[in-house]
Amino acid sequence: MPIRSLTSQTDLFRQAAHEASDALSKWLGRPSRIVINNVAIMPLNEAVGVLGVTDAPLVACAMGITGQYSGLLVLTGDDASGLALADMLLGREIGTSTKWTEIEQSAAVETANIIGCAYLNAMAVDPQATPELAAQPLMPSPPAFLRDYAAAVMQSLLMGQASLAENVFLTHTDFQVDAMPGKCSLLFIPEAEDLG
Amino acid sequence: MGEIGSAHDTGVLRTFVGSCVGVALYNRRLKIACLAHIMLPESKGRSSQPGKFADTAIPKMIHQLNQLSHGQTVRWSAKMAGGAKMFAFQSGMTVGDQNIQAVEQILRNLDIPLLGKCCGGTQGRRIALDVATGEMTIETMGGNPETI
Repeated sequence: MPIRSLTSQTDLFRQAAHEASDALSKWLGRPSRIVINNVAIMPLNEAVGVLGVTDAPLVACAMGITGQYSGLLVLTGDDASGLALADMLLGREIGTSTKWTEIEQSAAVETANIIGCAYLNAMAVDPQATPELAAQPLMPSPPAFLRDYAAAVMQSLLMGQASLAENVFLTHTDFQVDAMPGKCSLLFIPEAEDLG
Repeated sequence: MGEIGSAHDTGVLRTFVGSCVGVALYNRRLKIACLAHIMLPESKGRSSQPGKFADTAIPKMIHQLNQLSHGQTVRWSAKMAGGAKMFAFQSGMTVGDQNIQAVEQILRNLDIPLLGKCCGGTQGRRIALDVATGEMTIETMGGNPETI
């Protein structure tokens, strides 16, 4: 893949985050708003803590991305937010779900799929892409569900870039949904090779 | 990530690992210990952060330990934990597997006995190394702590 500068495409990433927020709102049938929408290069140790937690449990639904861009697109949140999201989708009162059974995991994974695809669709109309790049469809893998220590999850997500550099590039969007305790976050972590 | 910490007498050195490995070198009699958070098996000539790579981290750890032991001839022991396959879409020989193999090989080459390990699986680990005893306590999310 030709190398280009993802770091200069802040507007594209921010627009993609808005598309993802709209998709989340439609999917849940509730207003969703963006409270953080950052595109940043930062030291590795800072990036590991970008969600504000390290030793607390973090739920992540991660998709591998190939095509115009390659990397990882990840929907994350704490237990309370993730389980509330499952309750919303399942039409239950918020607080009904107390642990991650198959049905709650399925709800989280499907949500990652919906908002991840909205994000990717917005990225696919990159006006800076060469014809060669634009011809490569963006393909997400099925989301993989993971619940683990936040630091361990973030380290594993950042491993690809961290192996080649001391600073890492990522996009970080936090969404707040009506009645959801806390927030959920969407991270896009490109492959190091795509960072021109 | 990719850092090395060392201490003597008392205290606890801590880190989190997923596919990375936490490697401890210590001497129980002298109460000197060192813990590295190793991310990758080989430095391939990169030397800016030696703790990041197995082939540069372990020699750096020995250097730090030798300074703490004031040049005494010391036989170090090792323990390690980590090297998990965190995501289902990771296939083949993962970075975690490569890290484990690299550390084991380097320890063999240096004739440092590996007295305990808690590696592989699919979960991240919280590691605490007791400087005075060399005991490494490993916690996983939802599991019982294990001490090696």
